[in-house]
Amino acid sequence: MATRLKHRTVVFVGGGFTAALAARQLTAKGVDVVVLERGIDRTHTAATSLPSQRDELRWDVHGDLFQDWSVQTYTLRHNDGETALPIRRLQAFKPGEGMGGAANHWNGQTWRWSESDPVLRTQLENRYGKKAIPAEMAIQDWGVTYAEMESYHDQFEKLFGIAGKAGNLRGKVQEGGNPFEAPRQNEFPQKPLPITEAGVIFSEATKKLGYKPFPLPAANSPEAYTNPDGMQLGQCQFCGHCERFICEANAKASPEVLLYPMLRNRKSFELRLQTHVLDILYDRKAKRVTGVRYIDRVTGEEYEQPADVVVLSSFTMSNTKFLLMAGIGTPYNPRTGHGMVGKNFCHQTMSGTRVFFKDRWINPFLASGASQTVIDEFNGDNFDHSGLGFFGGGYIYANVTNGRPITSRAVPPGTPKWGSTWKKANADWYAHNFTISAHGSWYPHRENYVDLDPTYVDAYGQPLLRMTFDVRENERKMSVYLSKKIDEIAKATGADIAPPTAPRKGPYDSQVYQTTHVTGGTIMGNDPGTSVVSPHLQHWDAENLFVVGASVYPFNAGYNPTGPLGALALRLGDDLNDYVACPRHL
Amino acid sequence: MTNDQSDKTFHPNRRGFLGVAAATGAASLAPGVLIGTAGLAEASEPAPSQSVDASASTIAAKLPSPVPGYLSFGPDEAGFVEVMVNVMCPADALTPGGVDCGLAAYIDRQLAGGFGKGARLYMRGPWREGKPELGYQLPLTPEQFFKAGLAAADAACRKRNGKAFSELDEGGADRFLHEIADGKVTDERVQLASWFNELVYPLFEQACFADPVYGGNVGKVFWKAIGYPGLPAVHSQDMVDFRGKPFPGAADPKSIADFA
Ligand SMILES: Cc1cc2nc3c(=O)[nH]c(=O)nc-3n(C[C@H](O)[C@H](O)[C@H](O)COP(=O)(O)OP(=O)(O)OC[C@H]3O[C@@H](n4cnc5c(N)ncnc54)[C@H](O)[C@@H]3O)c2cc1C
Ligand code: SF4
Repeated sequence: MATRLKHRTVVFVGGGFTAALAARQLTAKGVDVVVLERGIDRTHTAATSLPSQRDELRWDVHGDLFQDWSVQTYTLRHNDGETALPIRRLQAFKPGEGMGGAANHWNGQTWRWSESDPVLRTQLENRYGKKAIPAEMAIQDWGVTYAEMESYHDQFEKLFGIAGKAGNLRGKVQEGGNPFEAPRQNEFPQKPLPITEAGVIFSEATKKLGYKPFPLPAANSPEAYTNPDGMQLGQCQFCGHCERFICEANAKASPEVLLYPMLRNRKSFELRLQTHVLDILYDRKAKRVTGVRYIDRVTGEEYEQPADVVVLSSFTMSNTKFLLMAGIGTPYNPRTGHGMVGKNFCHQTMSGTRVFFKDRWINPFLASGASQTVIDEFNGDNFDHSGLGFFGGGYIYANVTNGRPITSRAVPPGTPKWGSTWKKANADWYAHNFTISAHGSWYPHRENYVDLDPTYVDAYGQPLLRMTFDVRENERKMSVYLSKKIDEIAKATGADIAPPTAPRKGPYDSQVYQTTHVTGGTIMGNDPGTSVVSPHLQHWDAENLFVVGASVYPFNAGYNPTGPLGALALRLGDDLNDYVACPRHL
Repeated sequence: MTNDQSDKTFHPNRRGFLGVAAATGAASLAPGVLIGTAGLAEASEPAPSQSVDASASTIAAKLPSPVPGYLSFGPDEAGFVEVMVNVMCPADALTPGGVDCGLAAYIDRQLAGGFGKGARLYMRGPWREGKPELGYQLPLTPEQFFKAGLAAADAACRKRNGKAFSELDEGGADRFLHEIADGKVTDERVQLASWFNELVYPLFEQACFADPVYGGNVGKVFWKAIGYPGLPAVHSQDMVDFRGKPFPGAADPKSIADFA
């Protein structure tokens, strides 16, 4: 039997990125908040201290910071007709665990999405006609516009000290920035990071082709920085141990550095670590949630935490699973098209090639997680899709974040896999190559969704989440298109060796990392018939339940997801203050 | 079941192992003496300017010895792995042979530790064969799988070559590993190509390039070979000063032990 605890005002399930930002708004007004997080606080551990922080095997290859698959994983099948099997060691994406969530070990590539993304269906219908959008592509508008979010983007960028160059200041295109950028009110709070050698080469090549390269907006602080809360970042060391690692120099803007230490000093805030939430408690008749049930991972005891408001902030996968487990809303059925929970599950369409230069020193180890140079000509609807047979796109970039020798080392194609020739090729090329990649969108498909697996269970005896998921025609065609653009750029770099890019193909591979940007499952929208949560992230079927995270994105854009998540989470915090003061459908 | 199999498979091999053990003992004093004379495996490679053997033994002489003794391997398994790493990493101008680089020690330690015992691996049934895109689906821990595959590979080697893997000459051993990697060697119960490509090969690469604290990459020899500077990786100024230029720190990499 679970012990019933004292009633609280707002309970967050999951103590990562979005929870911290929303809790910041609430606790600033003194609202009572408790955050339940299954993992630990790693602030003063091997993960953040020299020399152990620089251990590629431990943090990257063995993934010691990520979700532990022996406790909980997902199952996968490529279509309805197959039996899903558990992914016993997932590589395709790497959800986080511990105070700060995945945003402690992120790269810090921090985008605002394009102005047309929150109104994607409207945009495509207006430009190409209603009929142009295939029936199986269930894209839809968010129900909130970029203009409504702009001030939250601005606030988030200041909190995280984002380094970049504006491309569009109040409607005026700026030299050196992204000419396709959504209009911003203010310049970035910090100047861009210094360019890498790969960036220099990429810039020259893309300019030759008539494109406009610019520095990727980065959450790696170019200098010591103090944010509006008085929280500080150190200077980025270009240490090459950024993504998949926690920053040793406190230079990577992350919840662990900027938010939780501050929140933990606020009176109305409580963080309960090592608490694995099992269920959301739902009163079906009243259409309200009453709290959550969790297990204390230190003692093994079960608790019930009653609350006025529950916020799911447990990343895409868990957010969706909690709704399915509690039976809040209707599970999506791909045959009938009925039900919304689990619908529009998407990932990222990556492809890329390596360019090798005999005489140029790339020094891949002199890099940070977001010190990249990018072009945005082929993202979203920045180019004409008439006659192309697909929608979507991606940014293309000189993709160097590190020179870690186990996983980031590369040799030209055709090199034997071992022996002296292999060794010599490593010695010859290690410092002399880099990747040019496309970071592509993934639009929803009627047959791509998640639900509860009928067979496999986690360490707590609960069903695993099941992905019915494949790379469908739209993404395959888009990837062919983007891969050709990569090849043209690769050629223009004058590289000695530039193998052709292999476009992303099916079947969806759980063993190849794409990004940790899985989206959908609890999508947002204006219409309760086609969404799980409202544009205020309030559940349509339980007024005091809110969901935040990329699970609310109706599709995945060709940009990294966390910028708009920051804006949505801050906005949610303000909405929650409003709701707590006067509970109602917002 | 694996025990039964290995009993049958490994008996004759044990004698073979004694020979190899002696040989590797010798090899660690002077790399390339018995197994893997440098350059032979990859004859097409233009010979480095200095004498290969000489430079290889100079490198070896300066290196610390790999950690002695095995935690997971029995003698026959050790024999197989030692021959394998010496073939995959022959002594040459860049590094000494695989055993002297600590590659066998690394693999042994990994299998004996958390990774080998299935840490972070979802291990619940039911167990079914799956498409390759679903990844590993066997009820074995990585350590058990490593050994089941090794036994199957050795049995297949006897059938094909009439001798245990550890008794093959360098060219024969190299050829056999390629045949396994290319899916040309089959076993009724173990998919040898995926055993080699998805378990053995990644362990080999890690053994070469992980921090020496794990037992491989002895003396940071692989980091030196490619020019990875290692720690402390505090590069905010280097990033500007050495953009597009050779980085001096690459010649003298530092590892975890240097800061312990
Ligand atoms: C390697 C990597 C690189 C990335 N790089 C970038 C990048 O460069 N740019 C970008 O925009 N994005 C990047 N991301 C994505 C970014 O980290 C996420 O978008 C962001 O962290 C999502 O915030 P969240 O609050 O939804 O989830 P998280 O920050 O992951 O927080 C969710 C929390 O919920 C907890 N939780 C889950 N289930 C339970 C449960 N049952 N009980 C209790 N707690 C639970 C988890 O432990 C976790 O701490 C990257 C992610 C990874 C893993
Ligand atoms: S690259 Fe910079 S921001 Fe990233 S972990 Fe290293 S020092 Fe921190």
